[in-house]
Amino acid sequence: MAVKEYKKENPFRLFVDHLQSIGTGIKYMVKPQRITLKYPEESLTLPTGYRGIIRLYKDVCIGCTLCAMICPADAMKMMTYQGKKLPTINYGRCVFCGFCVDICPVDALKETGVHDVAFSNRRDLIFDPEKFNKNFDNPPEDKVVKKVRAVIDEEKGIKYVPES
Amino acid sequence: MEVEVVPVQGELNVGPQHPGSGHMRILVKLNGDIVEDCELDVGYVHRAVEKLGENRNYMHLIPLVERPAILDSIHMNMGYVMAVEKILNVDVPERALYLRSFAAEVNRIASHLYGLGILGIFIGHSTAFMWGFGDREVWLQILEALTGARVTNSYIIPGGVRRDLTPSIIEMTKKAIVYMRKKLKDWEKIFLKNPTIMDRLQNVGVMTREQAIEWGAVGPNLRASGVNFDVRKAEPYAAYSKLDFEIPVYKEGDGYARTLVRFEEMEQSMRILEQIIKDIPEGPILADRFLKQIPPIRMKKWVQGQGRIVLPGYYASFRPPRGEAAARVEASRGELFYYVVSDGSPKPYRLRMITPSYRAIYVFKNLCKGARYADIVSIYGSLDYFPPEADR
Amino acid sequence: MIGNLLSLIRFYFFYPSFFVVIIFPGLLFTGILLLTTIWFERKAAARVQMRVGPYYASKKLGGYLQLIADALKFVFSEVIIPAGVNETLFAIAPILLLLVSILPFAVIPVSVIPQSGSVFSIYYHDFYDPNVGYGVLAGIFTCYNLLLILALESIYPIFVIFLAWVTNNRFAIVGAVRETFLSVSYDALILIATLSVAIEYHTLDLAVIVQKGIPGVIVNPIAAFIFIVGMLIGSSRFPFDIVEAETELVIGPYTEYSGFLFVLTMAGSYVGNFIYSLVFVDLFLGGWYPFSGLPGAAIMTFKAVLLLFFSVFLRSVYGRYRIDQALRGSWKYLFPLSLISLITGTLVGYLWL
Repeated sequence: MAVKEYKKENPFRLFVDHLQSIGTGIKYMVKPQRITLKYPEESLTLPTGYRGIIRLYKDVCIGCTLCAMICPADAMKMMTYQGKKLPTINYGRCVFCGFCVDICPVDALKETGVHDVAFSNRRDLIFDPEKFNKNFDNPPEDKVVKKVRAVIDEEKGIKYVPES
Repeated sequence: MEVEVVPVQGELNVGPQHPGSGHMRILVKLNGDIVEDCELDVGYVHRAVEKLGENRNYMHLIPLVERPAILDSIHMNMGYVMAVEKILNVDVPERALYLRSFAAEVNRIASHLYGLGILGIFIGHSTAFMWGFGDREVWLQILEALTGARVTNSYIIPGGVRRDLTPSIIEMTKKAIVYMRKKLKDWEKIFLKNPTIMDRLQNVGVMTREQAIEWGAVGPNLRASGVNFDVRKAEPYAAYSKLDFEIPVYKEGDGYARTLVRFEEMEQSMRILEQIIKDIPEGPILADRFLKQIPPIRMKKWVQGQGRIVLPGYYASFRPPRGEAAARVEASRGELFYYVVSDGSPKPYRLRMITPSYRAIYVFKNLCKGARYADIVSIYGSLDYFPPEADR
Repeated sequence: MIGNLLSLIRFYFFYPSFFVVIIFPGLLFTGILLLTTIWFERKAAARVQMRVGPYYASKKLGGYLQLIADALKFVFSEVIIPAGVNETLFAIAPILLLLVSILPFAVIPVSVIPQSGSVFSIYYHDFYDPNVGYGVLAGIFTCYNLLLILALESIYPIFVIFLAWVTNNRFAIVGAVRETFLSVSYDALILIATLSVAIEYHTLDLAVIVQKGIPGVIVNPIAAFIFIVGMLIGSSRFPFDIVEAETELVIGPYTEYSGFLFVLTMAGSYVGNFIYSLVFVDLFLGGWYPFSGLPGAAIMTFKAVLLLFFSVFLRSVYGRYRIDQALRGSWKYLFPLSLISLITGTLVGYLWL
């Protein structure tokens, strides 16, 4: 394996390098390549299998406690709800590893692909089986949110194409 | 006439709340503009990963061990899982090995871009900072599609990986490689060949071959000092023994050489990705032993249908046999070492992790001696020192 | 009666000592320009850096009002005065700094006044310059204005050092020491570059230089280059953002300032940069020539603004040099080059102009 050495700077090269740096800057200023997502107006649709907020199918669950056992952050706990053993989740602790979804033997848990949620107090972070049983998503109702999908582009890096 | 030079001495407390210190305090003893001594007060982001490791079972530790360096989580995850696999004595199927290499190299590119961005902003080049983070996003999209999370992927589990490659991810990767190759040319013009950057990095923080070995430098920092050492070549893991790639080694040992090594490693990583896309064999992505435990209906629906492993109940709390194992991987900042001792219970008896940034602390301290005050940040950036990773 | 009053107001409004210093291109215009420059700096950097930049403060104007929003925020945020400093000096230091940076507006000639046909023609005799043959549109007419501008500009670093000393912060003092080193080196560069042009045109009057009709960049390009570099160092623009080096010195001399006083400290270097740009346009880019009156002032300011925009654009291209590299660059390479420009100036001035 050859040990490489970079060429020591050549004083005449210096001027060209300066011009090249400024030239590249101007090139990008004239033809910008922006990847900013204008978030409140545009919202990302996440790829399938994105490990976002988890939901429960209460009727499918068999109460096997495997999800509570594998949970690395002790976010998922079992509780007796209406005479049935069901999991609850504390999103203040959840690390979104998705182990519980993967280990569930009856597919009672599902990743919803929603990740931008906000709560006004810590009590709301704890989902009892009833709340856990719903798709949790609260899109703004009064505004039109454009759903976009991130696509890798050869020219621009990341491009956002509208969700059809 | 004799001019009397009065030494101007003083101390500066750089950090922990300072734009150029990161999560630590650097106590700098200055003589004029020259740093006489530099004390690194680390530990501000210590999270006791090793101690916590003794109180969690093996699967619980996967998300934990990748927390110290979330931008390099695939490597952190892989080293730990490799050690556990050695205790469990599992053979990982070929395709899973390739997928591990795939995720690791995507992660390496993302992590190097992050490091270059930080180096850029440390020496005042805000464009490199934004470009580093912007281009990293492209690779994170691939990781997101593959593993389901941008960082903290928790992708690798004992026996294999959690999800399979899909044609759309291959397509994304091919596009990303084309884009990155093109962008790296502009990177070179505006950053690498930029005279201000060359002046700030060349002959700054020079570490000779002997010093690098003595101070225990690892990874790109070691290779920039002319030592050809890379765990991927020295002790091949994952699929690296079947892949063809070069290890960039530079002689100078200064900040510029370290930056160049990172740049060339990105190119090599892209070469590896191309080979993986071409050569990846068909087959299962989880060891047979665990695959057999998945019920046939779920096997058909998830594993064969969606290329996604569903964990058999075994993983919830398994007890590996008594034993100990060590594993090392080449993380993007250098050699990452894990030592796991099992006493037969569901929790490891001891988990030891030696992270590459931890090794950089001593290097950093030594390189700062005799440097100029403004060089502290450029040494910091060129070492790609990441405080949470060092503090664990 | 009203017509009389109006013409009186008009007379005083357009009186050059008021108009040039307060309205255009003085205080009022500079204030607006400051907003525009910082907006441009942020937008240009954003375009290069794959971002959008300021946007939500006023979507239709492309985020132009963001700076006003920022300024409002600063005005209402608390001014923290550190314990153990002299409060009075702490409060007046940034004000003095801004004051000194604005002073040179009083003497920069921005245009000439023809005998008739311009709004300024009534002041023709009061501002008559016998060497030019026109009236000169400047706050105070003096035929040594070049000397005065340079003298006023060279006080500026003293106030930066004063400010740093008052705040009694270690980072501020390190920044002040850097400013001291740099001011010596860039002042020498700018002085020699201007001197070579002055010798070339045999005058210390900017109006005479411009009215010669030959831009200085043609007769002495080396001096122009050195002036630009000196200007970048003098107003701490990249790649010479050494005094305020954020990752090293937090923000240099201004570390302890907060709230509105911090805004004042920031404005000084932009105003300084604009004044250097105006002088550069007069010296090297032909100033207002061949126009006169208000259009002349406009065309000159336009050129200066372009130069100002270029120098703030460099933020998105360069990193920053180290202090010793900047000093070595200016003393070892640019200083001998400036001496060459002095010789060129002398020769060309003797043979041609």
